[in-house]
Amino acid sequence: MIDFTLSKAQQAARDYAHQVALEEMRPISLECDRTEEIPESFFWNMQRRYWGGAAAQARAYGQDEGVRQENLLSVISQEEMAWGDAALATAIPGPGLAAPPILSQGTPEQQARFLSIYMDGQLHWGALALTEPGIGSDVAGMSTTAVLDGDEWVINGHKHYITNGARADLIVTFATIDKRLGREGIRPFVVPKGTPGLIVGRIEKKMGLRASQTAELIFDNCRIPKENLLAGRGEKKAGFKAAMGTLDATRPMVGSLAVGIARAAYEAACEWLREELPAGYPPQKRRAWEEELKELGQEIEMARFLVWRAAWMADRRIPNSKEASMSKAYAGALVMKATATAVRITAPGEESERKLLIQKWFRDAKVFDIFEGTAQIQRLVIARRLFPTIDIP
Amino acid sequence: MLDFAPTEEQEEIRKLAQSIALDHLRPHARKAEAERDSSTELRLTLAQTGLTTPFPEEYGGSGPLEAVTYTLIAEELAYGDPGLALNIIGSLMGPLTVWLAGSREQQERYLPPFGDPTSGYLQRGSLAFAERSGSYTLADVHLQARRTGEGYLLNGTKRDVVHGQRADLRVVLARLAESESAEGQLCAFVLHGVQEGLSIQDEEEKLGLQAAPSATYHFHQAQLPAEALLGEAGSSGAVRAATLYQILRAAIACGTARAAFEYCSAYARERIAFGRPIVSYQGIAFIIAEMAMKLDAARLLTWRAACSWDRGEADETLIYEAESAQHQAVKMAQAATTDAIQVMGGAGFMQDHPAEMWMRDAAAME
Ligand SMILES: Cc1cc2nc3c(=O)[nH]c(=O)nc-3n(C[C@H](O)[C@H](O)[C@H](O)COP(=O)(O)OP(=O)(O)OC[C@H]3O[C@@H](n4cnc5c(N)ncnc54)[C@H](O)[C@@H]3O)c2cc1C
Repeated sequence: MIDFTLSKAQQAARDYAHQVALEEMRPISLECDRTEEIPESFFWNMQRRYWGGAAAQARAYGQDEGVRQENLLSVISQEEMAWGDAALATAIPGPGLAAPPILSQGTPEQQARFLSIYMDGQLHWGALALTEPGIGSDVAGMSTTAVLDGDEWVINGHKHYITNGARADLIVTFATIDKRLGREGIRPFVVPKGTPGLIVGRIEKKMGLRASQTAELIFDNCRIPKENLLAGRGEKKAGFKAAMGTLDATRPMVGSLAVGIARAAYEAACEWLREELPAGYPPQKRRAWEEELKELGQEIEMARFLVWRAAWMADRRIPNSKEASMSKAYAGALVMKATATAVRITAPGEESERKLLIQKWFRDAKVFDIFEGTAQIQRLVIARRLFPTIDIP
Repeated sequence: MLDFAPTEEQEEIRKLAQSIALDHLRPHARKAEAERDSSTELRLTLAQTGLTTPFPEEYGGSGPLEAVTYTLIAEELAYGDPGLALNIIGSLMGPLTVWLAGSREQQERYLPPFGDPTSGYLQRGSLAFAERSGSYTLADVHLQARRTGEGYLLNGTKRDVVHGQRADLRVVLARLAESESAEGQLCAFVLHGVQEGLSIQDEEEKLGLQAAPSATYHFHQAQLPAEALLGEAGSSGAVRAATLYQILRAAIACGTARAAFEYCSAYARERIAFGRPIVSYQGIAFIIAEMAMKLDAARLLTWRAACSWDRGEADETLIYEAESAQHQAVKMAQAATTDAIQVMGGAGFMQDHPAEMWMRDAAAME
């Protein structure tokens, strides 16, 4: 039955995450953005309060409710995290983007071996490495290679723009085992931190999301055990398709982060109008802004519903790549509009912490049109799903 | 708990509405536009399905309306033809407002003719909502009602009243003001036996939605009897009726957009330019992808408002959600229908195809 009310677990996920965002993220947000560094205490607090506390609690409630809802619970809390600070949200300890491919393409033994690392209460991260200097959107054209040599895979190549790349304990790295096979030759490998031949290159300087670590990784005859190839399970063959498949799960997450930033900017602009608008401002201008913000508020709700629907489909195991792309494309465009509007509306008057935050969110927003598939790539995915028999290059 | 799937029963009703839309609405859309009305046969066909009598069985209805279910129905009807969908729903809003806002006595008086198995389909209802601004928002409802010794005095204007000219049951939304200056509470009145002070004008030249005939009402010191007020002043009935109309209008906008989206998609798949189907060009494919995305977004907003209506949320919540849904859905439908013509090129501009009609229909929704 169509229902837009949150269950107890869903409400709990939202409330806990909101509290954590408010107390752990907002207070250090501007400082981390300035320094591009995150204090160690943040990681430990998140480990304790988020993974150990809020998320675990919400998962427990979720189990009581007897339906699969991990995707929904996660987008609901991600929105709050991004409302706090999207860059810090990407740095929360845990397997992160490495988890989806391990879960969907690892054997039970591999899942246990790799994911248990994250259960010891210490600080661990994961990363996903697809992008290379030579290819981004066109993932199938990657040139990183993996060659089997006895009991080991030897990886050679160059990845860049990898979130948490320098701190990740495990990096799920995509490489081709035979370039002639094209996309069919692409496989995911789990490369542990500290493997000889894995070299961390530059850490990027970015316009936004500055506290999030974006690293270059070089694989120079990097040898990993044969058992670190995620070879798929049963029918589901690992490889390019599978890599793209994991994006169906992560795109709504990225969409929810965008919604969280958009909401933060919207709320701050509304508050600014109420509290900081310089006296003597023309009332018709103020009314025009209120209209604009009202419109924005409605668009934020639509973005959130698209995200929720895509996550709900994932929980129900309903194929959702079209809907996942819709949620990401819509939210990506919206967060740009929301933050740009907030910057423009709050332009008059004195500098304030609120305004600095708005400016930061504006800088953070643009990346949501880019990573996990650009705005154009999302539209391609939607169009190809709408017209499966037509070749849309 | 969040859920985005209609029930099996709703899915069946939706399919029924869709088949009616495709078999009986779409093929007659141009004729209905020219004749500025639905045919008697169509109304009989619809009545036989029970879709047009969503009020309690005791009055001959097929069971009380649920907003979510009816939102699904309204989208399908508009997918068939937006003008005819509005014709049907505009008529329904008359009896529905009596059901939602009226006293038991008023329900017993006005509803049974609509539920009559042999003649109910000939009845027309109407609900006068919009005023000079043409907008369907409650802040723009100003029609003034004042209490007098015998009843109420109405002053103001209503326009875009679907079936206003020929309705058997005319309901109007007004503000019952206790003093000259106060804006007053939203109320619904039945126009019954108004002798003087009301003039009704047919709205002949409309940009779109011609299949839903409409009229303008001018009230000048129009005297209404005391029993014309539906229910009691200040009860939620009038707000529930008004927000239901907004939600269903949002659903009509979604159906219109879906019609345009599917039609231009089929065209773009077949049409060849420079040796390839035009949809294989990103310039076209992205327009259509965008259409699909924004349609889904507006539909979800509409469903949310409908859910809240069924849950009986507070008036302010309902008003906010229903007006948001209507505003976004109409805006989306206007963009989608305009883009559909763009996708089709010159053919879209021709009356051989329905796209141009849908663009005018969407433009006439606000
Ligand atoms: C902050 C940040 C973090 C990131 N984190 C990760 C990570 O953790 N792991 C990872 O693997 N990658 C990561 N990325 C990389 C990101 O996924 C890529 O930047 C993205 O996929 C786009 O690739 P590109 O930058 O090479 O752009 P290109 O692919 O070169 O695209 C350039 C332009 O061409 C357009 N374009 C490309 N192909 C088409 C087409 N067929 N049709 C129409 N237009 C097209 C694109 O939309 C874009 O506008 C991250 C990027 C950033 C900025």
